[in-house]
This record gives sequence, structure tokens and C-alpha cells, in this order.
Amino acid sequence: MPSDTIRLPEKIDGWRLAGPPRRVDAANIFDYMNGAGELYLSYHFDHLLVYEYKNDGGNDILVELYDMGGSRDAFGLLSLDWGGETVELGGRGREEGGSNPGAGSGTRSATQSDAGAAPLIVPSSRALYGEGLLRIWSDGVYARILASREGPGVREVILRLGKAIVAERADPAPPELVRAVVGAATDPPWTLRPERTSYFYSHLVLNSLYYLSHENILGLGPDTEAVMVTFEKDPEGGAKRSARLLVIKYPDGAQAANGLTGFVEAYLPDLSGESGPEVRREGGSPRFVEIEDGWIGYRMSGAYLALALGCPDEEAARQVLARAAIE
Amino acid sequence: MKKTNTVVTRRDFIRGTVGATLGATLLGPDWLKGKEAGAGVAAGSSTVVIARDQAVLDEGMHADKAVLRKMLGQVLTGVTGETDTKTAWLKLFGPKDVIGLVPTPFMNPTHDELIEVVTETLVEAGVPAGNIRKAQGRSVDLAPITALVCMPGLKAHWLTGTGTVIKNYILYSGAPRNYHYADSAKLGEIWNLPQVKGKTKLVLVDALRPVCDKGPQFDPRYRWPYRGLIAGIDPVAVEAVGLKIIQAKRDEMRGEPWPLQPPPICVEAAEKVYKLGTSDLAKIDIKTVGWTEGLLV
Repeated sequence: MPSDTIRLPEKIDGWRLAGPPRRVDAANIFDYMNGAGELYLSYHFDHLLVYEYKNDGGNDILVELYDMGGSRDAFGLLSLDWGGETVELGGRGREEGGSNPGAGSGTRSATQSDAGAAPLIVPSSRALYGEGLLRIWSDGVYARILASREGPGVREVILRLGKAIVAERADPAPPELVRAVVGAATDPPWTLRPERTSYFYSHLVLNSLYYLSHENILGLGPDTEAVMVTFEKDPEGGAKRSARLLVIKYPDGAQAANGLTGFVEAYLPDLSGESGPEVRREGGSPRFVEIEDGWIGYRMSGAYLALALGCPDEEAARQVLARAAIE
Repeated sequence: MKKTNTVVTRRDFIRGTVGATLGATLLGPDWLKGKEAGAGVAAGSSTVVIARDQAVLDEGMHADKAVLRKMLGQVLTGVTGETDTKTAWLKLFGPKDVIGLVPTPFMNPTHDELIEVVTETLVEAGVPAGNIRKAQGRSVDLAPITALVCMPGLKAHWLTGTGTVIKNYILYSGAPRNYHYADSAKLGEIWNLPQVKGKTKLVLVDALRPVCDKGPQFDPRYRWPYRGLIAGIDPVAVEAVGLKIIQAKRDEMRGEPWPLQPPPICVEAAEKVYKLGTSDLAKIDIKTVGWTEGLLV
């Protein structure tokens, strides 16, 4: 359901809608948010409706309804920051499967699994509140409700607006790609931190999570899906260690091979002489390389490419890369 | 996709080779790259002054102009070595200067109260009110402006790492989209454009309520009341000190290292390629005045 079908109240407690919504689309998004439009465009942004509520105290409440290409896009935006207080707003309930491309199957809550199914690697939250800002993933809509200042009754009003947004809307499952990482959070020896799992398409977003290069060396784009997870290990008597796993799904194997070649040429130029059969070997043995900040491991399989990044040693890189279920 | 070994990567930052790689990859004439000494800014030391006062914000986070005025005097005297606000201003500007104030207009904007206090104290120092104008935006005619005060709000930026000092002149380029993504490294060249070069006499950062993540789109969870002003003549040094504060706050918030990402490549380039100042904290004299709790430097 597009955001245009959402009906917000004209009046809520002491707040009143200031007027009809402002409509922002790809052509004028930079006028509305100079410097931030790229984020939404990278998630298949369609349009944005901006509502303003005003009260006598001058404490405005801004409601932004981002109509994205699909549920996975709205999910991706929420996944960039799982911080805040999880709030339940209702909605129609978790659906089997999903009506949007990339939606996964099952009604399980995140980080819990149905019998026989792989556990998910993301928190179960669909709405997160913190200091006057509520962020919502509701099917293909990503919403932000922001009070100019938090005060008595503000949180309650914001949550009521949130409930009006999600009412009767579907709650598809997270995108299927989040299942391409194996393991419950307690799997030894590396513990996955669900609150650090992010789903995205663009190298700009990747760089805001884990910088590799200002250039798009992996060939990411609107047709590639990616999930980044963080693992931690807390050895007895030792300092906590962390490592990242990046799993990318390209449209096809040829584009995955191009992505890997681009990565090796720019990031591991000492190996670039192996471009071609060795580096691009589909389904071949994983490669492990030591660089300045630890070990990297990578493996390609069909349209998938997995990279273990920032691993403290080769064994860690092997263990982390093994958590990519891309066969 | 570029197939070249001169692409700047994470490894360059770890190895400390960003400057060399950028020098080899950034295109542009030498005059934009700042081959001439003191290219973009008035000559001066890399002293950065931080003034903070708990009373500058009330419980509702409204700025108190009287306290701001005191803090402004503290940073001005610290930067210039003069004894009061008036003589400090007159060391930076002459009475015939046409002064452009360049605040941040969007998302975590520079406080109006700070702009007012700067304007009022300049007038008190003898600068005609008609010679002081707001100078932010692509439509500003910079030709008659002889001096600039760069007045951004301190904030992280999801595309460029920082969205504070070096980025504050992006609209002067007339083509801000040309300075995004990898091309954010070129932000420093704007300071060397003929209509901008050498005019910046003071960088005055509004750090009353900085934002340490998700900028420029505002998320209140990442804004905190630092209650400070940060000032200096060297824009790169002021940027570097602001970055240190932002990074320290991020680590404090998470209770673990939370590196600013992407790394602010424009700062390294501003120093190494465009010769706008120094980003090496070891070479920056940081002076602090006032409230010290949560100083983060």
C-alpha cells in the first residue's frame, strides 16, 4: 500500500495539521534535504509526503512518509540504525512471505527461528523511538516522526501518529538476503550482533558502515543487494575482537565476477595479476589475504560474493567467511 | 568503475598514504591545488581556541546571547592575542572591509543568536552595519565582499564524514553535486577559487549542540549539548579539532570505538593538496577556556 492511502488525524491532542502534505520526489529531494537525498534514492525512493503538526507551544511535529520501492527498501533504511526503544505499533501483523521483491518467507520474529528454519540475524523491531524521533518500517513505507523538542505528552502523541501510519498495513518479513548469513547469536566462536546488521544496495551506504573506498570498487548499485553483519569474540583474558562479513547478491554470476575483480584490483592490487580464472573462480576455494588492519577473506558462488573484513587472523577470517550461506 | 591502483581506499588511510594518492588522482590546475603558499586563507598560526560555558543553553536548549557574547570574546582574544573583543575584531578586519558571514543554513543550522552576537560586536568595533552581510548560498555576489567569517555548525556527515568547515563553502562552487562521493576530496579547491581565496579571516564553529552521526539529516539521539565555540584562522586545524570532538563523542556514546565513516577525505586533501592548513593535531595549539566537563579533547 502506498503512503498516499495513510490517513493522519487533522488534530491530535493540542496539535493540528498545518496543511496538506508537501510532496517531494526524486526531482526535488535535494531541495528538501541537501546532502541526504542520496540515501533515500539509493533505496529505490519513489516519493515523500511531509506533514507538519503545530501546537500553541511552538513544538512542531514533523511527519515524513517515505514511499519506497518495496518493503525491503524500507527495512533497509531502518536497518541502518537499530538503536532506540523498540515500540509496538500494531499493524496487520507479520505475513507469510512478502508481497515485495526480496521479502523472505515465514512469520518468525527476528533472531528467533521456526523449527528447521535458519535463524534471522536482525532485531525484531519495526519501530524505534528515541528522544522525540520515531522511525518506522511499515511494508513499503519508511516513516520518521520528529518533535522539535521532547516534552510531556510528546512521546504519546508521536506513538499515536505511528499507530495511525501502520494501521491495517502489512508487515512483510525481512528480505531473503538476511538469511545468507548463518547462525544464531550464540554460535561459537564468533557472536553475531543483530543490532549491527544492515541491508543496503549502494557503496555510499557501505562506506557509512564500513569504509572501503570512495570509489564503487565492488560494483554495487540498485540491482545489487548487500548485507553487512558484525561478529564479536570475547576471549578469556583477552581484548574483545570484532570482524565484519559482507554478503552481496549480484543480478548474475558475471556481474559478481566483475565486482570481485574490481575489488581485487583496487583493494588488493598485489593479487590483481590473478585477475581472471584464479580470482574469479566461481565456487572456488576462498582466498585469504593479510593487509594492514588484519585479514580479509573472500569467496564467490554464482551471483553471490562474500567478504570477511577486518579479521584479527587467518583462522578468524575462515570462521567468519564460513558464516556466509551462499552455496 | 575505475580500474586503477590510485583509487583511494581504507588501506591508504591506515598506511598514511592518502595525501600522496590524492595528489596523484585529483585533477585541476595548479592554482586550484594551492601550489602557492597560503593559498586559501590568510596567513596565521594553527591555534584553535575552544570556549565553553554551561550557561549558554538553558533547559529548553535556548541560547543565551549574553553568555555567547562572553564566549565569543574568549575565542577572539585567544585566536588574535588581543585583550578584548573590539581590538580582536579590528586585528582581523579593517573598518572598510565588507564582511560576509557564512553560517550553515540546513539541518543543525548555526544559531541565529551567534550570528546576531557576531554582527553586534562587529558594529561595536566600528564596522558599519551596512558592511556586514550574510553570505551563504550559491546566489551570493562575493565580488564586493572583502572578508569572510566561516560559521558552520559542527556535525558529522554520512557522505563526507564531516559537514563542517571545509564543506561550508560548497554552494560557492555553483555545482555542489560535483563535490559529492569521491569528489568530496575536492571540496578544498573551492577555498582557492578567485572570488573566495584569501578572504577567510576567521573560522568560528557553532558547537553549542553538535551532531555526531547521521548528519545532515537530523536525529536527536546524536545531538548533544557541548555548549562550545571553536575558532581559529586555519580552517583545516579547526576542522581537525571538531572531528576529534565528534570522534570522541561517538566512542563515548557506544562505549567502544565507533570510527567516523567514511573518513573525511576532504580534510586530508585540504591539507596535502590544497594547502589550506594543517590537520595534524600534534601541530595544532589547542587552547581551552571555561567549562571542562566533557571537553573531549
